[in-house]
Amino acid sequence: MSAGGVLDPAGAVPVRPQRRGWLRSNADLLGTPIIVLLGLGAVALWVSTRKLDDIEARALQPSAILVDLGQHLVLAAYSTFFVIVIAVPLGILLSRRRARPVRGAVLAVGGFAQALPPYGVLVLIAFAPPPFGFNRFAVIVGLVAAALLPVLRNTVVGLQQVDPALIEAARGMGMSARATLLRVELPLAVPVMVAGIRVALVLNVGTAVLATFVGGGGLGSLIVRAQTLNRPLVLVTAGAIVAALALMIDWLAGVVERLVRARTT
Amino acid sequence: MRWTIDGRSGWYASALALVGAVALMLTGCGALNSSGPSAQGGSIAQGPLLQGQSYNVGGKEFDEQKVLCQLTIAALQAAKATANDMCGIVGSVPTRAALTSGAIDLYWEYTGTAWTTHLKQSNPIPDSQQQYLAVKQADAANNIVWLDPTPFENTYALGVKKETADRLGVRTLSDFAKLVNSGSPEATLCVAQEFVGRNDGLPGLEKAYGFQVPTGKLKTLDEGPIYQAVANGNPCNFGEVFTTDGRILALGLTVLTDDKSFFPKFNAAVSIRREAFDRNPDIAKVLNPIAAKLTNDVMINLNKQVSQDGKDPRAVARTWLQQQGFIGS
Repeated sequence: MSAGGVLDPAGAVPVRPQRRGWLRSNADLLGTPIIVLLGLGAVALWVSTRKLDDIEARALQPSAILVDLGQHLVLAAYSTFFVIVIAVPLGILLSRRRARPVRGAVLAVGGFAQALPPYGVLVLIAFAPPPFGFNRFAVIVGLVAAALLPVLRNTVVGLQQVDPALIEAARGMGMSARATLLRVELPLAVPVMVAGIRVALVLNVGTAVLATFVGGGGLGSLIVRAQTLNRPLVLVTAGAIVAALALMIDWLAGVVERLVRARTT
Repeated sequence: MRWTIDGRSGWYASALALVGAVALMLTGCGALNSSGPSAQGGSIAQGPLLQGQSYNVGGKEFDEQKVLCQLTIAALQAAKATANDMCGIVGSVPTRAALTSGAIDLYWEYTGTAWTTHLKQSNPIPDSQQQYLAVKQADAANNIVWLDPTPFENTYALGVKKETADRLGVRTLSDFAKLVNSGSPEATLCVAQEFVGRNDGLPGLEKAYGFQVPTGKLKTLDEGPIYQAVANGNPCNFGEVFTTDGRILALGLTVLTDDKSFFPKFNAAVSIRREAFDRNPDIAKVLNPIAAKLTNDVMINLNKQVSQDGKDPRAVARTWLQQQGFIGS
């Protein structure tokens, strides 16, 4: 590992942990927020010049959109939280040598859950007996199932790519297996794990659009209404909001990822 | 620019047409299973024929539309025309886009949907006949011809399980308004997004009957699952339904009486591209007598055979046409 920083696995930007030059080397981070602001501003300007009919005006009430947005964020946050709580410990267990026989099978189950069509899963869960039902809980279970794999796989891969020589050295210094895991393996695996969590988060923001079909609310409500009532103005606005949300969440996760990388170097 | 759907307006219409075309491919009801010698004879064969004509018959994805689509195909075949089966396009907007783009030549549309969704009007006309005439007139500008409407009226209603209605003593929408205003925890309502957004949906209903369902008791789901959700009483006891849906019978639901006549009544009619209509206007003489026989009871019964008894819409349509003497056996 070089003294200046760690090389991004994507192969691109060397990240410097030093305070000086941090702004300059991270100036590219400003791009996304600027694009999002310009895009939202353009849509808002366009909407403000249109004469809205009753249906459009009702759908575009700021208070209603804020409620949808809030529900959407809550769904994405809860489901990502549970994905982390479930997939990270499971991934750590799977990365241990003893778990090798079942590793492939468990990852295959994760892949299977991701491959199921989320709409079908949501409706099935919604009709399952309590505590399932047409509620937020059912939606979160569906989202967690769909987004489990990236975190699970990246945790396993992140731990496996740690140099065995480092682990051996740690054990040689007298560290217990647990201390080796907590103080050597996990810190070195964190960048890969965070990349997986970022994928899951963005996946959840996108899939939460389906929540409206089973009474879970969210920004999907606006999209479905605009589509069934054929109001392109509302559809474009809703699409812009979801796109902006996904971009900003991905951006935030990207910032966190970069900070984590810089710290674990 | 003004958004319009008239087949000439830029990328939006093209995009919709593409969606429609993809939907057609995905539903997999291509032209392969369309022709068949079964629809011969009967009263249609004695009337004006459409020899040498070929029509792409479309329809939406739900049971009533499948039946109407198959009725049309069988009738056109009995009149010696070629009818290509393009039934089962998902959604009203893609189906209409398929019509305006020329991917299909005709399909059954409801006057209310045409007025609110396709013609972008906010307020429906209370009288069903006036509503039909207004749609027919407005759509002439889009080069779409409307044949005669059905007597059956498909309209919004609130449905509830029979036992729940008895237990709560709710028979009419006024009773429901009273129940909501009493703050009863039983007054839960399931609706779809379209119903929430339309003037003749929930906003107008609440105003007409003087109630407001609190947000915690209002669930917005997809239209399909609402029937089962109401039958289960979970998550709601009441739900938005369509009056001719076969699942009302199948699941033992009852429809609340609209005692203030709030919900506008909408008929269905064949909407056909003018170019396809002008090729042989006798198509009206083939299809209008069928529309005239489609009363509420007939339509509910046909829908039930598909929704509850699991019969093939094609078989249901042909059997009914034979019983009515439109086609021979």
